[in-house]
Amino acid sequence: MSGQKLERLLNLTALLLDARRPITAERIQQQLDYPEDRTAFRRAFERDKDELRTMGIPLRVEKVPGALPEVDGYRIPREEYALRDPGLTTEELGALHLAASAVQVEGLPSTEGLLKLGGLVTEGARDLGVQVAPLPADPNLARLFGAVSSRTPVRLRYHSQDRTIDPYRLEFQRGRWYLTGYDHLREEERNYRLERIEGDIELTDEPTFEPPATTVPGRARGAWELGGEEPLRARVRIDGPQVGWAVQHLGPDHVVEESADGSVVVELPVTNRAAFRSFVLSFLDHAEVLEPLELRDDLIAWLS
Amino acid sequence: MSASGSAVRLQRLLAMVPWIAGQDGPTLEEVCARFGLTAKELAADLEVMWLVGLPPYTPDALIDVVQEGDRVWIHFADVFDAPQRLTPDQAVALLTAGASVLALPGADDGGALARGVAKLSAVLGVDADQVLDVDLGAGATDVLDVLRMAVADRRRVHLDYYSYGRDARTERDVDPYLVHAEDGSLYVLGHCHQAGGERRFRVDRIAAAVLLDETFDPPASVSGARGVFQPDDDDPRVVLDLSPAASWVAETYPVESTEPLSGGGLRVRLAVSTEGWFERLLVGLGPEVTVVDAPRALRHAGRRASARILDRYR
Repeated sequence: MSGQKLERLLNLTALLLDARRPITAERIQQQLDYPEDRTAFRRAFERDKDELRTMGIPLRVEKVPGALPEVDGYRIPREEYALRDPGLTTEELGALHLAASAVQVEGLPSTEGLLKLGGLVTEGARDLGVQVAPLPADPNLARLFGAVSSRTPVRLRYHSQDRTIDPYRLEFQRGRWYLTGYDHLREEERNYRLERIEGDIELTDEPTFEPPATTVPGRARGAWELGGEEPLRARVRIDGPQVGWAVQHLGPDHVVEESADGSVVVELPVTNRAAFRSFVLSFLDHAEVLEPLELRDDLIAWLS
Repeated sequence: MSASGSAVRLQRLLAMVPWIAGQDGPTLEEVCARFGLTAKELAADLEVMWLVGLPPYTPDALIDVVQEGDRVWIHFADVFDAPQRLTPDQAVALLTAGASVLALPGADDGGALARGVAKLSAVLGVDADQVLDVDLGAGATDVLDVLRMAVADRRRVHLDYYSYGRDARTERDVDPYLVHAEDGSLYVLGHCHQAGGERRFRVDRIAAAVLLDETFDPPASVSGARGVFQPDDDDPRVVLDLSPAASWVAETYPVESTEPLSGGGLRVRLAVSTEGWFERLLVGLGPEVTVVDAPRALRHAGRRASARILDRYR
């Protein structure tokens, strides 16, 4: 981009940010360094607007109040444009920079956001000691995060069905992205694998929702919890030698019984029976489904 | 947003101007470091600012850029007194990175990163703990601490390791090259003295790790290469028929040949490094897999494993 065009875009942003009332295209042409020819101006102005919008600048088109005949004007509402200063210390900014350099999501700008927060600072950051492979990208990730943040219901297609969902939370578990949300039609909370969402999600005009306070985030979830089936509570006995890594994997909260021989009983919520079966079978003959009978029979039938 | 080359400059200026204006004459060097540009790029960007301002664009209505020696000041830039908000992809990238590092075993909940993520979440109007949950992999904090220390100091470690493939607990001495996170698990990669070669160990299967006195020299370049499963030449080979529902096996393991079957399935040939691994594969796939060819010892591995498991249910 030429310095001249950059200068014009900066002046356009300044003009529209400063405007209390929407400014007409005609006035913008008079004020800024645009071609005098009407068609050439239109073309240049369209490109400039696109450029600002691509950057996420909230450029609004509104009727100029009181103007007769009616005419459109433009402005950038400051309250929608400006980032509230989070007041990060140098140390906090350095820690965020280290994290953003270490953990990248494929296809997302890893440190771009930091420029707006005060720049790329390296002070006070300790080496993480873990090399993290980039997390897989998903085309719907950023938009879904926007919807989760603004508590806006979304429309999406999943298993060839259109659904309207209140998106509560995004999770990255076992190498995959999931959305937890409330399905309007089914009237219950479900999990959706992002890579199985067909096409692009759409933000709806429906009123914003209030997320429930009862969900328990911050806990790794097993594949057996990541399904949309009728929930069951399963009890599984795990033999002594396997207890160490199994409990590390599941978290100690799931252990409901410890026996003298070193084995334990764990209780797991199951909404994905196939994943639950795979999990239990990964112990070979060192684990046994105790309850419910339905899951016990399911496993016996699978092996017989 | 995948910003085009030109948008990058505009975006950077809209972030840089409020920052410089809020400081008392930072050095050019510091501005370059913070905003990731060269001295020449900074000079070009500052030059553009000389003619930026508000109507009527008389000298008093323009932003004032003052450069003295190696320092720079920006005055009268009230219209750009705050940076632009984060776009959703900038926000999700930063919060994901922050949440990931905070979810690593042993992370400091009250440290600079935790405070930074909390402040950032507050201005974004989200509760990061509630809306985003990232798990890079499990492991015991004390084990991970020992491994990180060993990698940094190039010290050998003694591991009490549950070998999933062999379904047995093993004791090993390992020279750890690096700890890495991939596909939802944490691994340590290093030279295993018992195996006599480079091996990868899942951190959540290490029951205990002890730092030893011996030190080692790591190889010149190490990367957490993909692929837990590295077959040896003398591992036995098997041929399996996979139903369409089991065709993921061909993408997950390094199969040596594939041919499509009528009806949508696949016939694959692959190496079996340990019997335990093969038993798990077969019982997990159940009716979705048929063993077409295998050495005698492995031919009935699935049936034997199923029978052992079913014994528990009688």
